[in-house]
Order: sequence, then structure tokens, then C-alpha cells
Amino acid sequence: MSGSGRLNARPPARFSPQRLTQVVALGIAGVALAGALVVSRGLQARAVTRTEAPQAVFFPRAEILRPALLGFTGLAADLTWIRTVQYFGSRIEGQERFPQLYQFVDLATSLDPYFLDAYQYGGLFLTIARQYPNAIAIYRKGIAANPLSWQLPHDLGRLYFLELQDYPQALHWWEVTDRLPGRPHYIPRFLIRLQAKIGHLETALELWQQMYQQSDNEAIREIARREIRNLQQQMRKPQAADPNR
Amino acid sequence: MSRVLTIANMAFTETVRDKILYSILVFALAMIGSSTILVTLSVGGEGRIVKDLGLACITLFGLFIAVFIGINLVSREIERRTIFSLLSKPVRRAEFLVGKFLGLGLTLAVNIGVMAAGLLVLAWVLEDHWTPRILLGVGFTFLELLILTATAILFSTFSTPTLSAIYTLLVFVIGRLSADLMTFAAQFGGASLKATAVGLYYLLPNLSRFNLSGAVVNDLPLDSGTLALTAIYGTLYAAGILSIAIAVFQRRDFR
Repeated sequence: MSGSGRLNARPPARFSPQRLTQVVALGIAGVALAGALVVSRGLQARAVTRTEAPQAVFFPRAEILRPALLGFTGLAADLTWIRTVQYFGSRIEGQERFPQLYQFVDLATSLDPYFLDAYQYGGLFLTIARQYPNAIAIYRKGIAANPLSWQLPHDLGRLYFLELQDYPQALHWWEVTDRLPGRPHYIPRFLIRLQAKIGHLETALELWQQMYQQSDNEAIREIARREIRNLQQQMRKPQAADPNR
Repeated sequence: MSRVLTIANMAFTETVRDKILYSILVFALAMIGSSTILVTLSVGGEGRIVKDLGLACITLFGLFIAVFIGINLVSREIERRTIFSLLSKPVRRAEFLVGKFLGLGLTLAVNIGVMAAGLLVLAWVLEDHWTPRILLGVGFTFLELLILTATAILFSTFSTPTLSAIYTLLVFVIGRLSADLMTFAAQFGGASLKATAVGLYYLLPNLSRFNLSGAVVNDLPLDSGTLALTAIYGTLYAAGILSIAIAVFQRRDFR
């Protein structure tokens, strides 16, 4: 205690080597961090002013990618799918085209062939992008990998019915849907209408209403809302003017 | 048996005091929790993203625990020279290794249990219903990690901790790829290459058998017979690797 008392009694040296090193180090830290802040602001300004060039994405084949993923293929499919949604969302807002949309959806569904949502929403995105052959290819790929899921033949039938007005194909895929467990209650009603070649507008309206009710995504709900409004306007017109009847 | 359990208890107490374990656990839980952010970026597949990421985190962070704690279990005792006082007591070397293995196994079980509980709750919050199948996936991941724990202990009986970690991580990579060996064997090479590939396939641990994440997240049917055989395979393989470790450790000279 007496030793520490003696130490405390000694007046502190104002510029001892340790103190000097501490001050210099803190000074350098202050200058370096302030410099980093200035550079960071400069970089941020450059990033904002630079025009975003569309980037082409390289797509490796799933069968080559699979061994490198060490079994984490499901997670890779999820991440690819999130990237697909971002790609679609960013381009639909800018009214741009979707040159790589099919490759995105194809890779996600090849990494996990049981990823139902990727087939369903991927097919829908391709339909919205008016890439009908690609949408059909995705639905067919999904049906081959998941023969017991009613959702994919149902959605393929909807594509044929609403977009391509190919009623025999729509009838065929809804007949397939009708044989699968868990299919929606309205499918037999659609089949009757299609077989009788009547009520196409009512069927279309019901399909869009189902999509509106089932989707949590606001963009998809907005598309459905618009189609419902159009169909309701058409149905208010005199029946004689309706070419589907 | 009581000696084995005492060593297992000691190993468990020692490992749960390791600060690295808590860092790994907190990081793993943060990663599992971060899947809720990823979900907001997606349209569809919300539940499966959480489960996929959660199961991958449990595998990877469980692997880190098995490797980075497993390699030090034996080497630390040798380094601190506490092995002399331990083996001077009526404790066989085999009992020492089995006890260490069980202790780390218990640590893994507790950590994986905490991560699985976090994942189950998160999946329930997102999907509004329980998905107990996650536990099946986690159970088989635990078996996979037991094989890797035995492997880490085996390498640590004759090698340095750094090399043991590298070798064990390589076994994980090879084990996850071994199913592809058969595919490569069928596609390329002559008869001798095919025979070598098939031999390696059966010799190396086929860790892809324990990966049930695809079946769990997509709710695919699972064959109970195959699951039972996989569980037996995992137990036998871990026991085999641990027995080799015991044989090597018996001949180890500590001077």
C-alpha cells in the first residue's frame, strides 16, 4: 500500500512515452475513421449517380451445380427462387422484358423438383410476361415431377383457358385435375361448362376471383382485380355481343 | 460403465464451459431467425425457406461444434498432461475415448435441441401449424454429426488439432459427395476405375443418406424401413470409427 501511495504521490508526467503513443494512436484513429467516412460518402454518391446497367446472369446447369452444393440443394433452390422474384419484381415495375426469367425458374425447379410454389408462381410470372411456351414447359415439368399435385394441371388449364383460349387443352388439364386428391370444388362445374361449350366468361371470372382470394402477393392481386373488373364490364354488355356464348 | 459415464459427464461439463460453443449457438439462432427477413423477399415458399435454412444451419453449426470441440477433446488432455493423471487411475484408454465421445454427443444433442426448438417455433409462427417432421430431419442430422464426432476424435488421436479439423471437414465433404461416386462410376472409366469407385462408395460414410431436408420441407413420403436401416447404418458406422480410434489410441505413446 505504501508503494502505491508513493506512486500516486508522484505528479503524473504530462508527455510520458506511453501517454504520447496513446495520444498519437487516438489521433491516427480519428483521422483514419474520418477519412473512411468521407470516402464512404463519396462511394455512396457514385453509386446513386451511376446508371444501373442490366446484368446478365450466368446460369450453371443444375446437374453440374448439384454436387458442389453438398446436399444443400433445397436451400440453393430457395435462394434462386428469391432471386427470381426480385428479378421479376424489379422488371415488372420498370415495364421491362424478362429475357432470363425462364432460366431462373428452370434452375430453381431443377435444383428442387418438388418445389411446388416455384412451378406455380414461376408459371404465373412467365404467363404475365407472355412467354406462354416457357410457362407451359414449366408446368409440364412440374406435373411430371409431382404427378399427384392438383395445383399444376389446374394452373396449366387456367393458362390454356384464359390466355390462349384453347378450350380443348383446358378441358384436358382440368380433367386431369379432377382425378387428383384435394382438387378445388369448382373443377366439376368448369368441366360441365366446357363440355357444354357455355359460360366461358363466368368461368374466367371465377378463376380470377380464386386467384385474387388465394394470393397474398399484392402485385398478383392487383392483376386479378383488373381482370375481374374487365370481365364484369364485359358481362354487363348484352349477351348477343358476347362472342364466347 | 460408471467410469465411462463419469468421463462423459466431465467432457460435457468441459465443453459447455467452452465460450466458442455459445458463440456458435447464438450465431446459429441468429441465422435461423434471419430467415424471416428472407421470407419477406419471396412470393410463395415461405415455410420451406425457413425450414431449409434452419436445417442447413443446424447441420453446419453442428458440424462446427463436432469438429472444433471434437479435435480438442483428446489433444487438450495430452497438451495439459492431465491424461497422465487420468490414465494412472483405473481407467482404460477405451473408456476414456468412449466417455469423451458420449460427452460431446450430449453437448451436440443439447445444442441441436435448442436450435431445433427455435426452428419449430419459427415454422409454427409462419405456417400457423406444427411441423413435427422437422424433428425427424434433425434426428438424422444428429446421427450424421455423431459419425463426424467419431471421425474428429479418431484424427485427434494421432494428429494435430489443425490437421484433424481439416481431415474431418474433408470427410464431411467426401461423405456428402459419396452418393455421386456411383453416378461417376457408371458414366466414366473402365472396369478397374468403376471397381475403385464402388469400393470407395462403400468404404466412405454416405452422409447424404442422413439428409432428409428435401423430404421434410416438401412433405414427401418417407419409408420407415429405409429410415430404420439408415439409423442402424449411422450407429454402426460411428461405432466402427470410434473402435478404430480406440485401436490407434491404445498404441499411442505419450512420452
